Amino acid sequence: MSTLKHKGKGPQSLTANELREGMNVWLTEDFNWSRKYSDALQTEDESVIEKMQVKGEADENENLVVGVYFIDVEPDTGLPVRYREKFRVKGPSYDTADELGLQKVK
Amino acid sequence: MYRYDEFDHEVVQSRVKQFTAQVERRLDGRLTEAQFRPLRLMNGLYLQLHAYMLRVAVPYGTLSSKQMRQLAMIADKYDRGYGHITTRQNVQFNWPELTDVPDILQDLADVEMHGFQTSGNCIRNVTSDPYAGATAEEIEDPRPTAELLRQWSTLHPEFAFLPRKFKIAVVASKTDRAVIRAHDIGIEIVKNEAGEVGYHIIVGGGLGRTPIIGQTLRAFLPREELLPYLEATLRVYNRYGRRDNKYKARIKILVTETGIEEFTKQVEDEYATLEPLDIAVSPEEVARITAYFADPEFEKLPAHNDSYKAKLLDDKDFALWAENNLAEHKQDGYAIVNISLKPLDLAPGDITAEQMRAVADLADEYSFSEIRTTHQQNIVLPHVKKSDLYALYEELKKVKLAADNIGLISDIICCPGMDFCALATARSIPVSQAIAQRFSDPARQRAIGEMQIKISGCINACGHHHVGHIGILGLEKAGVEFYQVKLGGDASENAAVGKVTGPGFSQEELVDGIERLVDYYLEVREDEERFIDSFNRLGMAPFKEALYAA
Ligand code: SF4
Repeated sequence: MSTLKHKGKGPQSLTANELREGMNVWLTEDFNWSRKYSDALQTEDESVIEKMQVKGEADENENLVVGVYFIDVEPDTGLPVRYREKFRVKGPSYDTADELGLQKVK
Repeated sequence: MYRYDEFDHEVVQSRVKQFTAQVERRLDGRLTEAQFRPLRLMNGLYLQLHAYMLRVAVPYGTLSSKQMRQLAMIADKYDRGYGHITTRQNVQFNWPELTDVPDILQDLADVEMHGFQTSGNCIRNVTSDPYAGATAEEIEDPRPTAELLRQWSTLHPEFAFLPRKFKIAVVASKTDRAVIRAHDIGIEIVKNEAGEVGYHIIVGGGLGRTPIIGQTLRAFLPREELLPYLEATLRVYNRYGRRDNKYKARIKILVTETGIEEFTKQVEDEYATLEPLDIAVSPEEVARITAYFADPEFEKLPAHNDSYKAKLLDDKDFALWAENNLAEHKQDGYAIVNISLKPLDLAPGDITAEQMRAVADLADEYSFSEIRTTHQQNIVLPHVKKSDLYALYEELKKVKLAADNIGLISDIICCPGMDFCALATARSIPVSQAIAQRFSDPARQRAIGEMQIKISGCINACGHHHVGHIGILGLEKAGVEFYQVKLGGDASENAAVGKVTGPGFSQEELVDGIERLVDYYLEVREDEERFIDSFNRLGMAPFKEALYAA
């Protein structure tokens, strides 16, 4: 699934899942991972993309994240191109926990 | 209910230890994701669209109150306070963290549960009739057979890496409440002319991208031959099933490509080479397993209960609930209670931890601590005294579990779809909610009568859309969701795959189209005809016209 080698078109972002918690994350401008897509680094600069790839591979090897891959980003909206990726960004449109205000009882 | 023996305990406990160590090795990097992925999947742990998801096996849909309470505890402590009942009678948690999973598995093991064989190319959790042991229709309780199959298939070394996953369902009534003809192997417990009990073996059914209704492999298989015969069948599949193409790897493709006659011959030839007695279990062992499923201590009661009858007259809402949600029990004075997990405002099949605890308490109080999950994504309390029904109903209302729509248009089967599933092409939950809202008027739902709408968020068909009276498949093109409609599917003993009507719809158009379809049916139906009956009488053309009439 993970196609870390960037083959996309237009601006790119790098996404993955946290290994421990499993949540979706995107690589940020300062080369950290954020659960918020609004923090995601978007770039067409091939040299930056190359660095992102190196960072992704390194963090996968460091067991911080899993399933790292590049996504295409719409230049106008800044949103991912693929429908599925739009969904990963937004989170479920329906979740019983959100609906009822439920959460983990630690 | 079956209780684990020493062997079961050991298998489950050692698996917890093993997986705990595997997680540890994954976290410190001794295992790569490529190495770890198959190991986590073997324990039901997926990485989904937003997070991990843990699938817990509920063998043949039978749960004790104690197990249900533990699931509630797990939902609260490690997840977001709810769980989801799947179309294979299992329970899924949508938000567990990898670091918690060893503890979750230990908590499950403490109540004789686990997540293994809920994923991967092995024999999956065996499903069955949620009315097992309670309905007068059955020849015998199908659960001892299902339990025997569970024991046989659990960690079976020869069948751990089949060409593809393998699903088995068992029923013992003519009425099929487990969709056996859409399984890799469907088993119907039957009696032959001599009055002996044996098995009707159906093979090669399945949904997914190539829906096929299973065919008879053996019309009557003597009871003691079950395991050796299935072993022979699985061996033929293991040998000839296509490993070169994932989409052609299920047994249904092998059976179709080989032809049922030739396939049967291959199985019989293989069977002839086996020493059945090496595989078959002894009658004593069968008796030992069966004893666990003995009837609870039913009271001797009259068939009719006056207080229940009086309440039916007294409380109209109760009467409506009773009309839809109860089924005939084999024991006089008792009823089978269906608890709908299809309220108008929540996702089909979701149940909160609070509701789980309430169901567990009610099972203790009213149903010999027994609970069932159904492939329709509802819950059953199998043995409730008629005299207790009103009190039970009142309690269910308090936790919002008294929806009275079992079998009606809003009792929709719906997979998680794009809201949770990594494989989805479109959402399914909002579609089911929109349909349920459109038909929210209870009187209208009743006027429509039995209707099975089934929705899948992709071609994998976990939402059984191929066998819905109205089946809906969510797809996506150029960033827009659209929904394809199938009509005429049937999940019952008259199993049939629905036919695609034509071009897809947006969600809004879809709900309008379904409304036109239903209105048309109400106009043309004769006598007590259900939607599917009218459809079968009149054929696709007029229904299609109604659907696309806008
Ligand atoms: S049908 Fe598709 S979208 Fe729905 S649960 Fe199955 S794989 Fe996921």
